[in-house]
Amino acid sequence: MEAFSDDILVFIKKECSRYETRRSAIIPCLYKLQEKRGWISPEQIGQLAVAMDIPPVQINEVMKFYTMFNQQPVGKLHVQVCNNISCTMNGSRELTDHLCKTFNVKSGEVSSDGRVTVSKVECLGSCDTAPMMQINDEYYENLTPESATKIIEKLGK
Amino acid sequence: MLNCKVNGKEIKVKQGTLVIDAIKQADYDVAHYCYHPGLSVAGVCRLCMVKIGDNPRLQIACNTPVQEGMEISNEDEQVKDAVKWGLDFHLINHPLDCPICDQAGECELQIQYMKFGQYDPEMAEKKVKKRKVVDLGSKIVLDTERCILCSRCVRFTDEVSKTNELGIFNRGDRSEVGTFEDKPLENDYALNTVDICPVGALTSKDFRFRQRVWYLKNQSTICTGCSTGCNVKVYYNEEGLFRVKPEFNEDINGYWMCDQGRDVYKFVNKDFRLLEAQSVTEGQAEPLSAGKAAQLAGEKLKELTKVNGPESVGVVVTGQYTNEEYESLFDYMVNKLKVKNIYHWVNNSDTMDDFDGLLLRGDKNPNTYGLKEIMKKYSIQTNMSDLEGAIKSNTIKTIVVAGPENQAVYPDFNERASLFSQASNLIWFSAGPVSAATSKHTLVIPTKTYAEKSGTYVNYKGTHQSSHKVTTIVRGALSLSDSVTLMSGESILTKPVGPQKAMKTNFFVNKSGEL
Repeated sequence: MEAFSDDILVFIKKECSRYETRRSAIIPCLYKLQEKRGWISPEQIGQLAVAMDIPPVQINEVMKFYTMFNQQPVGKLHVQVCNNISCTMNGSRELTDHLCKTFNVKSGEVSSDGRVTVSKVECLGSCDTAPMMQINDEYYENLTPESATKIIEKLGK
Repeated sequence: MLNCKVNGKEIKVKQGTLVIDAIKQADYDVAHYCYHPGLSVAGVCRLCMVKIGDNPRLQIACNTPVQEGMEISNEDEQVKDAVKWGLDFHLINHPLDCPICDQAGECELQIQYMKFGQYDPEMAEKKVKKRKVVDLGSKIVLDTERCILCSRCVRFTDEVSKTNELGIFNRGDRSEVGTFEDKPLENDYALNTVDICPVGALTSKDFRFRQRVWYLKNQSTICTGCSTGCNVKVYYNEEGLFRVKPEFNEDINGYWMCDQGRDVYKFVNKDFRLLEAQSVTEGQAEPLSAGKAAQLAGEKLKELTKVNGPESVGVVVTGQYTNEEYESLFDYMVNKLKVKNIYHWVNNSDTMDDFDGLLLRGDKNPNTYGLKEIMKKYSIQTNMSDLEGAIKSNTIKTIVVAGPENQAVYPDFNERASLFSQASNLIWFSAGPVSAATSKHTLVIPTKTYAEKSGTYVNYKGTHQSSHKVTTIVRGALSLSDSVTLMSGESILTKPVGPQKAMKTNFFVNKSGEL
């Protein structure tokens, strides 16, 4: 396990002094860690706990609560299908199953060619355009199974 | 003081009292899981709903302070309905495996569930499967399915033990309690989380599957594990003691106790006890009853003090007995036999003053304070190290030892025992067997343990606490006071133990003529 680079340590220090409590700085610090590899390992949480002087369990609580932090490596295209109430009512479960089948991947895992990960996530705040998904940092809305497949295939080229 | 009404009953409460405490003060039941008086308020279980005045919306009692003139009701139909539904939500993912759960019989979820008769959950969805039998180290087993996420244990490790091992991970119906990377939960206060767990999610490895709780009786006593003197409840049946739990005492231990204190029941049980007295003369062992042995010891001491003088007798006392026992022993030794060589056996002088900042103290004796007081009273100033010289130079030929009840906390036990064995006569009062006592004439007399006698213990800061007899485990054992009475040639009249129970009249027997 490599140690944190200096710029990450400087960032953590700055964020920790920015808020009333150090716990408030957990989310920005986790984002910073995820930037480099796309996911966060338990070892990194242990290191972050030391750097932030916060019990590791509290960082783990935050990380496991939010679906935007990846606990495992993800593919080049991280397809995050919203599975909250509005999207579910508009068929997001079926959409997820369809995508998993089409790209031959289990929910939350990386496809064998390392290109696609399909995962179920919590509300992305776009209920009016349900069902929707987020691929890496972009939103794709008002989907049907066919349109979603097309979008991913296009991006994958 | 504030005036308020609970279900129509007028009471006065202190400023700042929470509604939930006011309801308890008024002697009404209130369903709750997450609230614990020793922890901060979380307000997550949503079960302590109350109706306040004419407010259309119900409020939670644990997070609402009482205000002057408040009219509180938790027997309203609206409240009952809310609790019923709250309970149903708690049961959505609970496995309801009560028949194989260790908490059954003292489970708060089970109590509410039996009360409201919500026997079949109304959810069409399948239950979420979570991890069962998660090993959390040497003391605790976690079942995340049974957990209702009240967060008491998380708040305990955060606020009381300040070790922060536990947390709640994931969200929604997949939330589960756990430690980071399933690390073991090994702090000195970890078993308190088992006590405060309202369900069977956290169970103690030591107690798991050993007894059903409804087959155990319990009684309050004092923990003799260290000089803090925590107030505890021991759970027992006719086979012996099974577990120890803390009992609230604001001045001493609050709501908690340490994990070491929970092991203090073990040496009381029969497997670790000396069951009858033993007289060993030049390697020849002979069992005899404790009373006989005490009388024999008395005669022997009388003769030896006459022949060799009282200076030839040394008495070694440990801080594990009650004030009353010290009183009778010192009276007998100093006033009757004129023996002044009384020594205080200190087990761990290096760590004696240790304190972990919460409850656990380095002095592993419950009554060092009381022993020091009585030594002062009889103006005895001796040093244990002088005894060694006196034995070696043969000025002390007879040694009487009021040995430790709990031998495990005396690391120097065997070393000292072989030192005392160098004297030609040895009389040892002990709760457990003493294999290292091998003097020419050895008499080992079984004594009662703290659970089998009543008496006063004085803790590190001088607080006197009386502890009451819980049960009898070894019938042949004597308390130190009883032994001294027998040694001084008097006899003990046997009294019936406890109040005589009136015979239960059988309804059918009396009415048999009419049937």
